[in-house]
Amino acid sequence: MTHTKTSPLPPGSAARRAFRRAGTGPPPVATAGEARRRGRRENLAGYLFLSPWILGMLLLTLGPMLASLYLSFTEYDLFNAPRWTGFDNYRAMFEDPRWATSVGVTLQYVLIATPLKLAAALGVALLLARPRRGLGFYRSAFYAPSLIGASVSIGIVWRAIFQDEAVVDRSLRLFGADIGGWVGDPDWAIYTLVALAVWQFGAPMVIFLAGLKQVPRELYEAAEVDGAGAWRRFRSVTLPLISPVLFFNLLLETIHSFQVFTSAYVVSNGRGGPADSTLFYTLYLYEKGFREFRMGYASAMAWMLMLGVGLVTFVLFRTQRGWVHYEGEGAGGR
Amino acid sequence: MSRTEPVEPVGPARPRPPRVPASARRRRTARSLLPHLLSVALLVVVLYPVVWVIGASFKPGQDIVGSLELFPTEPITGNFRRLTEGIADIPLSTFFVNSLILAVGSVGGVLFSCSLAAYAFARIRFAGRAVMFGLMISTLLLPVHVLLIPQYIVFQKLELVDTYVPLLLGKYLAVDAFFVFLMVQFMRGLPRELDEAARLDGCGHPRIFWSIVLPLCRPALITSTIFTFIWTWNDFMGPLIYLNDPQKYPVALGMKLFIDQDTLADYGGMMAMSLLALLPVLLFFLAFQRFLVEGATTSGLKG
Amino acid sequence: MRAGRNGRRLRTAAAALALGLLAAGCGGSGGDGTVTLRYSWWGDASRAKLINKTVALFERKHPGITVKTDFLEYEDFWKKFATQSAGGGAPDVFQNSAAFLREYGAKNVLLDLTPQVKAGHLGTDGFRAGLEKAGEVDGKLLAVPVGGNTFALIYNVAEFEKAGVSPEKGWTWDQYHAAVEKISKAGGIKGAAANAGVMYLYDLVLRQRDKAFYTADGELGFTKDDLRTWWNDNYADVEDGTLVPQKKADQVAPKSVLAAGIAASEFSWDNFIVRWSAETDAELALAPLPTTDGERTGQYISSLMLSGYARTQHPEEVARFIDFMVHDPEVGKIMGYNRGVLATERQAAAYEPEGPDALVAEYERQIADLVEPMTPQPAGTSVTEAAFLRIWGDVAHGTTSVAEGVDQFFSEAEQALRS
Repeated sequence: MTHTKTSPLPPGSAARRAFRRAGTGPPPVATAGEARRRGRRENLAGYLFLSPWILGMLLLTLGPMLASLYLSFTEYDLFNAPRWTGFDNYRAMFEDPRWATSVGVTLQYVLIATPLKLAAALGVALLLARPRRGLGFYRSAFYAPSLIGASVSIGIVWRAIFQDEAVVDRSLRLFGADIGGWVGDPDWAIYTLVALAVWQFGAPMVIFLAGLKQVPRELYEAAEVDGAGAWRRFRSVTLPLISPVLFFNLLLETIHSFQVFTSAYVVSNGRGGPADSTLFYTLYLYEKGFREFRMGYASAMAWMLMLGVGLVTFVLFRTQRGWVHYEGEGAGGR
Repeated sequence: MSRTEPVEPVGPARPRPPRVPASARRRRTARSLLPHLLSVALLVVVLYPVVWVIGASFKPGQDIVGSLELFPTEPITGNFRRLTEGIADIPLSTFFVNSLILAVGSVGGVLFSCSLAAYAFARIRFAGRAVMFGLMISTLLLPVHVLLIPQYIVFQKLELVDTYVPLLLGKYLAVDAFFVFLMVQFMRGLPRELDEAARLDGCGHPRIFWSIVLPLCRPALITSTIFTFIWTWNDFMGPLIYLNDPQKYPVALGMKLFIDQDTLADYGGMMAMSLLALLPVLLFFLAFQRFLVEGATTSGLKG
Repeated sequence: MRAGRNGRRLRTAAAALALGLLAAGCGGSGGDGTVTLRYSWWGDASRAKLINKTVALFERKHPGITVKTDFLEYEDFWKKFATQSAGGGAPDVFQNSAAFLREYGAKNVLLDLTPQVKAGHLGTDGFRAGLEKAGEVDGKLLAVPVGGNTFALIYNVAEFEKAGVSPEKGWTWDQYHAAVEKISKAGGIKGAAANAGVMYLYDLVLRQRDKAFYTADGELGFTKDDLRTWWNDNYADVEDGTLVPQKKADQVAPKSVLAAGIAASEFSWDNFIVRWSAETDAELALAPLPTTDGERTGQYISSLMLSGYARTQHPEEVARFIDFMVHDPEVGKIMGYNRGVLATERQAAAYEPEGPDALVAEYERQIADLVEPMTPQPAGTSVTEAAFLRIWGDVAHGTTSVAEGVDQFFSEAEQALRS
């Protein structure tokens, strides 16, 4: 790849000096003693920089996580002491038809909503990446849906526009598709939530925009001069350079899709209906934990989800080597 | 982009393309109009629900649920007027001030703690890095509902319930793996040679972090600022569990006080409130998205 | 330089924390002998205004007690309540309902008020008929009703007139079905939606036949055959277009089919007429339940109640507070029927109902002689109720057959009631 380096930094700054030094060849080889000392210094620096995170982990995250792991092996009704039941909760899951339903609904949602949302985010980000008039307005307008979040109001809006005779139904009929209302229809209700996810594509869009900003203009110009078409430029310049950000978005959106809760909650009035067609995994987990007071079972469900999503995450991290390009380190390094 | 200056030449100099003839220029105008047209067409679809909320906030409460019309036949302002009287004897401004405290407090915390953690993960080779990184990612994987009670117990024991500490402390302790990971991804995009060179100049990690990495990560920091502000603004789960006194409720929770199954729900008030709640975040986004563009000046470092 | 920067960071963090602490309130008792109670309830902002007034009144008359109130919408309220009581931070006094009485009673969350009654801090006289024993469970007083409501048919007056049916005391299910069919056949709106998933309605139907949804020892009080018949009949009416299709009914939620104008009647609690009247232009009225034998409706009064938290530091003050809220006529005047028709005679007499409230008052007076004691709802009721509603929904949508649905309900209910 062509190496273009331009510096935005003020003359004389440390960064500027560092910048000039960069590329003057490999650093001198260190002796064994120096390396050891350096290793210790690195460890110390690492832990110092991480100290807030480590504190947070110990104080706020690790304890509750381990507590939920423990509870997953118990019967716990929130009010009385938990009672150890071994793997009962995990076994019960496989005999629970609604658990299976919730897994199916969630997988369907993850597989459809995640790619669509990412495509929308990337598409609009590309549309908005080039400087042009009114960009601030466009960006804010496209982000507006995500500003609203998943509130009760959105639940009401969503149900209103996806009922029969409302705007979606009428528009689709112009194209000859007579589906009727989506919200009351077990076959279609899940797509109202897919639509909601895609509609709120603002967060990954902003991340893509930030990533695109790091792609130097010169590369495009060089590619253009080389006669590369728009698609070629996208494939061989943009995509590799934003791949770390793309990876981030893919990973996080996948994880979030697996955990979708609030939007499903407000649109289905908290029940995952009609006929369990929007019974997402976390919605069911919530129902078990907080409505039926079976927190042990809910915790087991959570850890099962963690295992599943963890596996997906692991596989995604593994694929990095093939398509994610990091500037700072060798590809795919941790 | 006057400050941009090429450091390393891009191969042999290429001749500039010749001036374009008028017909081609016209074609180019048409081409530059195309994105505008496309954007506007998309926006019509994307903004329809937002406009629906605006319309609904001018409808009488009982006409809102299931309404087919985008705009009211006879717009009323009563929903907004009612808001000026406050919610449940609490002035409206209280909710907004509370949200602002929480949002600004959170932004500070996230920028501080997550950037430090991200630097460690992206730039320092310390023992146990892979394990800790894995641990951090794993905190993203567990659904919040099973952590709610254990976390509540921690803060209850510390007697911090009904304060903002449970809502802010985590932000200062990099509990949000999302932002740590986001910053890690951006930092890993920066050329490694920079650190090596700075190191030769005698810079330690604190100086590399502060003077080199942070300035170059501005897009990531701006992005994190925007998200933290907006997400904190919209969050109601934390405040729901940890705050008792309605005087301390943020907007997102105040919005939920209009409706209950027992009584005649005030959908009008809620819609009006949703709209008002949207304004500060919209302004915030408008102000900050500019910096996303300005981040462009640092772009030259990549390639 | 580094220390300086870290110092600045530290100060920022400290400032933020201080800010949080500054906003901190404190519960429990103050050093000056005053007691602070926390009172939580579910409801909306309009209820909050009324409750704030009653609390101010209480504080004026009980200078030693300060009451901090907080409120949320129903679902959020119970989620927070569960979390907080699991962590030992539940409110001292809170709003409760019949559906949760035994549930929380069994989990030892509720304060037994019997000693307070004996000590004279809480009066138990003067409750309306049907409410005297509402808060008693196994000899303990776990809650005190503040307001009560009973079931009714809420109907569209014009549509029923057109069909030539006037629903009145002693009318029968046959008459009801004839009316519904007539209205549906006339085109326009349907006579009713299938309320076959509403536990409270089915309970009344069963009670009219000397059964009930639950037995006295907390098991299901009907057989699979009973339920199959009930659901089959309703399903047939949905299928042939007599009742609102389930898709439509699900679509209009959170509005009711009646308020949404797609059905001419709906079974619900009588106080819902207040809300639904405001949501529709049609004139609505209340009618007693249709009967099986021309006499019994099976109706009872269900109530909103106040309960204390078992681990409160101030049981006496809790009792005094509840006593005031239940008996003080001024409170009755302020609250009106916001939480149902006022529970004590004194409070009910202090409030002059108007508009839809007057309809509710008139209705409850009219059926007062029909009211029977309530079947206690065992622990697990809320789960059973939700399953009943959901599984009927599956059946009505056609995703489950009646036979399968009945089996599924029985297995879920038996599990919920066992634990």
